[in-house]
Amino acid sequence: MSIHAVNIRKTFGQFVALENLELKVPAGRLVALLGPSGSGKTTLLRVLAGLEYADPGSNGRVYLHGQDVTNTPPGDRGVGFVFQHYALFRHLTIFENVAFGLKVRGRKTRPPKAEIEERVNKLLELVQLPGIAHRRPHQLSGGQRQRVALARALATEPKVLLLDEPFGALDAKVRKELRRWLRRFHEQVQLTTVFVTHDQEEALELADEVVVMNNARIEQVGPPQEVYDNPATPFVFEFLGNVNRLELTTVPNVPPEATPAQGAVTYVRPHDIELLREPASDTIPVIVHHVFAAGAGARVQVVGNKTGEWFDVEMTRYDLDKLKPRYAEMVYARLRRPRIFTKPAL
Amino acid sequence: MAAISSTLSQRSRASAPGRRAMAESPWVRRLLIGAALTFLILFLILPLAVVFVEAFSKGIEVYANALIDPDTWAAIKLTLLIAAIAVPLNTFFGVTAAWCIAKYKFPGRSILLTLVDLPFAVSPVISGLIYVLIFGRQGWLGDWLFDPRYPAPHWIGFAHGWWPLTFDWGPHDSIAVIFAVPGIVLATVFVTFPFVARELIPLMEAQGNDEEYAALTLGANGWQTFWRVTLPNIKWGLFYGVILCNARAMGEFGAVSVVSGHIRGQTNTLPLHIELLYQSPGTYAGAFACASLLSLLALITMVLKNFIEWRHGRAGRELA
Repeated sequence: MSIHAVNIRKTFGQFVALENLELKVPAGRLVALLGPSGSGKTTLLRVLAGLEYADPGSNGRVYLHGQDVTNTPPGDRGVGFVFQHYALFRHLTIFENVAFGLKVRGRKTRPPKAEIEERVNKLLELVQLPGIAHRRPHQLSGGQRQRVALARALATEPKVLLLDEPFGALDAKVRKELRRWLRRFHEQVQLTTVFVTHDQEEALELADEVVVMNNARIEQVGPPQEVYDNPATPFVFEFLGNVNRLELTTVPNVPPEATPAQGAVTYVRPHDIELLREPASDTIPVIVHHVFAAGAGARVQVVGNKTGEWFDVEMTRYDLDKLKPRYAEMVYARLRRPRIFTKPAL
Repeated sequence: MAAISSTLSQRSRASAPGRRAMAESPWVRRLLIGAALTFLILFLILPLAVVFVEAFSKGIEVYANALIDPDTWAAIKLTLLIAAIAVPLNTFFGVTAAWCIAKYKFPGRSILLTLVDLPFAVSPVISGLIYVLIFGRQGWLGDWLFDPRYPAPHWIGFAHGWWPLTFDWGPHDSIAVIFAVPGIVLATVFVTFPFVARELIPLMEAQGNDEEYAALTLGANGWQTFWRVTLPNIKWGLFYGVILCNARAMGEFGAVSVVSGHIRGQTNTLPLHIELLYQSPGTYAGAFACASLLSLLALITMVLKNFIEWRHGRAGRELA
């Protein structure tokens, strides 16, 4: 089921959480809402679920599969929502938690008891937690609770799955495992899924499409590689991955169409800088300051000889062994793919 | 006591390898515990014991006679009736107020929070007096209530019977609120209003709204959300608030004294009856016999309270 939200504006008193934004999610996709805290991503997710409503008078609309659900209560939207801290019903067993959405249905639409039991057990198997149905939430680990919350959200057979910081409350190792598991899980169930995260690595690894948000607005939408390789704004450049921010004057051979406006900045990814022994027409002289080579790749910190700007250079260990840079030595840097923004980053 | 012993056992375990910086010397500790115990015995346990000693001082027969006296019975029944009205009402109001304050942000929220505490801040005498000022003969509604054109039967509670909705059919020239059962109910409801709400607000605030929101996304309506999610989460806090509210409703003296009129067998609650017996000649032991009943109520309340804290503590640990 596709999601389409238009003209969504949401304010909390003076604070603008969402500023007239539009979001389109095609059916079956796994989409990440990525942004720093306070960027409005969770609010947007809650508006999609119906837990918050767009400001009256803002003319904001939410469509699920072409159907206007703007004024539909959350329970009737066909969405499953997984809360950041799972919000499992602490007084109920895992079975009762998962069965909740089925048991609160009216007499006419409620499945018979045996069917509820069968469905709950199937769901617990699907999230790989068979045999814990009689336990209570406090007896489970964080990762287990997360998957129970997912099973509970899926029990009502939603058409859209919304996850708020699904891995935020887990430790690093569990987080990575669960991330991969969720990716496989999505391939299995093919449910339109939107999740909120502030972790760029998580968004880039997991999502089909990344929606980068900042300051109540959407900065860029695209597949992970696209937003990483071609950031639309300085914010996206700085938020995704490591980056060197340089003055325009540092960059040799600026193309003439990029008229150097006041405050223009240039971004170069550390792995897009090449270090050479010999100068060339498109290189700048830099001085080696620090070499860090414990890991798969190597990182060299250099200082521009004329400008005094610091930058990080990433290279393979193989290239490092060829170059053998030493402290305070002068080498020449070639910026392979500099990106020039005529407006400075916010 | 449970809290004291548990901290002591923690301390002794912690101090096994070596003395901790926070541990006072044994003498200081003994001195402090001794002072606390002396205070407890002198001001709390001794007076409570005196009640029972005095109650039985003239023998078990006098004790029993004092309790089966029809006026005492009437007072006990009236007290139970008042509690049976005030406690459910305030349970309902308390849950409603706590729900509003803890789960919603709205203009006037902090004013409501202050108003909930008002009955605690006001002297009980004032709590009774405000109703006299409204419903009394000279009060705001006095002209209307004491108008012979609107005669109404007077609700006298149990009186000496067994049916709580007994009415005195008159003829009357007034609608009886003050110096009658309705006034006592009003004053008691006012005084005991904060107990349930006060107990629930911090609890509900700490629990947040997420579980309720989760229930909503799963298709539960507001009613189902309350019964299946909110209520089970607050049940121990609610129970605690209810027993405290009950203890106060049965024990309230000041406010009730102002509005009751002290009519023996009709508008005397148990606390008022005790005072009456104490002041009258020859019923000194009887006063203590009745007082022993209220003391027993207090003891039961404390036992229940400890039981809840024990259960609640366990539930709290389960959450962590």
